[in-house]
Amino acid sequence: MDDADTRPADTRLDVEEHDTPAEVDAAFRTLRRVAVWHFVLFLAAVLGVPALSLTLGWWSGARIDGGMSPGFAMAAFGLYVFFLAVGLAAATLSSAVEARMLGGAHDEGDDRPEPQDTP
Amino acid sequence: MTAAGATALVTLVTTLVLVAWLVRPRGASTVDFYLAGQRVGVATNALAICGDYFSAASFLGVAAAVYVSGLDGVWYAVGFAAGFVPVLLFVAAPLRRFGEFSIPDFLGRRLGSERVRLVSVGVVQVVILSYLIPQSVGSGITWQLLVGRGLPGLDPYGTGVLLSTMFVAALVAFGGMRGTTWTQAVQFLVLLGALVWLALAVIGSGFRYPEAVSDLSATPLANPVPGPEGWELRAETDQLDPGTAATFGEPGAAYGPLAQFALILTLVMGTAGLPHVMNRYFTSPTGTAARMTTVWVLGLAGLFYALAVMLGTAARQKIADAADDHAWLAALTTDGVLRVPEHALPVLGRLYGGDIGLAVIAAGALVAVMSTIAGLLLAAAASWGHDVYERHINPRATQRQAVWAGRASTAVVALTAAGMAMVMQPDSLAPSVPSIVAAMVTWAFAIAGSALTPVFVLAIWWRGTTAAGAVAGMLTGGLASIGMFVLGVLPVGPGIGEMLMTPTLVAAPLAAAVCALVSRVTRPPSDVDRQWLIMHGTAADRQAERLAHLTIHGPGRSRRRQGGTIHGEGTALAERQRRTSRGPQKGD
Repeated sequence: MDDADTRPADTRLDVEEHDTPAEVDAAFRTLRRVAVWHFVLFLAAVLGVPALSLTLGWWSGARIDGGMSPGFAMAAFGLYVFFLAVGLAAATLSSAVEARMLGGAHDEGDDRPEPQDTP
Repeated sequence: MTAAGATALVTLVTTLVLVAWLVRPRGASTVDFYLAGQRVGVATNALAICGDYFSAASFLGVAAAVYVSGLDGVWYAVGFAAGFVPVLLFVAAPLRRFGEFSIPDFLGRRLGSERVRLVSVGVVQVVILSYLIPQSVGSGITWQLLVGRGLPGLDPYGTGVLLSTMFVAALVAFGGMRGTTWTQAVQFLVLLGALVWLALAVIGSGFRYPEAVSDLSATPLANPVPGPEGWELRAETDQLDPGTAATFGEPGAAYGPLAQFALILTLVMGTAGLPHVMNRYFTSPTGTAARMTTVWVLGLAGLFYALAVMLGTAARQKIADAADDHAWLAALTTDGVLRVPEHALPVLGRLYGGDIGLAVIAAGALVAVMSTIAGLLLAAAASWGHDVYERHINPRATQRQAVWAGRASTAVVALTAAGMAMVMQPDSLAPSVPSIVAAMVTWAFAIAGSALTPVFVLAIWWRGTTAAGAVAGMLTGGLASIGMFVLGVLPVGPGIGEMLMTPTLVAAPLAAAVCALVSRVTRPPSDVDRQWLIMHGTAADRQAERLAHLTIHGPGRSRRRQGGTIHGEGTALAERQRRTSRGPQKGD
């Protein structure tokens, strides 16, 4: 069976829009940097919270706001806010990098809608 | 079964059947059956991913783990929620841009190798089965509580396992990805609604979260264990400081120092290798939409897990307070502590809402189980139907035959998982781990994170990845993780056993290193530059967005853009989109 026969059509290269290999390579390297730096930040937080619980007594022993320790508060809700912030920042930056480095002036004054839900 | 329980069950089943009927596939193409025509919007896909991902382990298991282990149980919630950050950073957009139907399809095409495809089908099936069994266990536990009766020849647990698995298999076979997407989105809203209702009821009764954590941490943490003279409370030993008792608000009740990091990393790495979750990204219209979908998922996951942790804490305090006043709790508790921690949320629901409250929470648990089973069965169908049947068994299959192969594989996988869940009764396993459902799901995360995620990330971000390297990496990660499980079951000493049961910390770097080393000495695919343009370029995204614009506004409002004027292109683009949504037709 020919691969092209079952491939979702909009991922093929024979589209009217196109990117050059040089453009894609430059964007790829920038996106990789963005991803790696955000991942390092994420990893520091997600491993830092249990690490602090193991190493600093006051992180688990101190009481804030009625009795919850800083460590429990971070694990119970603080980290989820952080994950959302990191994700939003990385997504926004990555999309901005792609818009700037790929497709030339395509997005200038662009008022195209977000993809719509279709049942 | 009470009238409330029956009403909840009937309402749930009717709603799901109705949704599946309303959004049933209109054609018989594989793109429609497996990928919902690749037109699932950001919000819908985020809700569906949440329905897919928040399983019995999330709904029953996280609260249960917090209930039984305090802060050490919270790491489950942290790991489950954190897993979507690496997905967003490394996987979502390039995966969608490359397209395809499944993880094996992606790896097979990216590395130009049928061997890679078949090996990854094997790994994916192991992950799916490891994930399906705890969902079936969760449905059995919930049926026991909600209905309490079994079919002739079956106990209530076995009946719940069998009926829920078969019902979902029928829904998936009938509705495909399109039906599954919308039922999962509805199921997640039901699930979140149940959690929010319970949280409001608990807070409304005067529950104070910080004070509860402080109060529970003031005394040693103790849990029921079966003894020679029946159930008895036993204080948990602090794994960080053997010889002292663990407390609710501090680490150490379940895991030693290394095991804590191993658990979190296992869950973080595993999400990117979960086939049922990754398959959902192929349904996004563009790579950018896939990325933004993940941001929504992160927000929803944060809300969901924060509530689950709070309710696990509330259950620990409130059930103990209520044990003396409610005779029905005597059969479920020992000195005010639940014997099966997965009962925490259903019992809390009954305390605050009577039979209706129990029905709401039990319905939420069944929804969590069924939506995840649906995603897993669909992922199994995609890899058996598309990657094995269409590619190797019947390469000349028509679209109709291929879809029926997918449907048949859902039934086979569902029956296998149900059979294994009936053999693995939770009562015999529960005392060994904080939450048996959460622990079993963690094994699936471990295999996915060890065998699939490293190869997946390397294939997306390193041009030098080769087919031989990918096969070596997947086998190394898979065998290392399973080997460590086996060692972990043996009496290897406190702390080390738990670490071995969450092996990604060791197995994933090993798999990545082997994949990289073998790739270094073998040749990458010749068309890697072309693949890079598809995977990391945005031309197809721009094309899809332009098409969406033309579809909504028509060519009359088109404007001059770089690369040519798009006046008059609407007809051609619409025709292309019709072809896409219909899917490639065999024999075209």
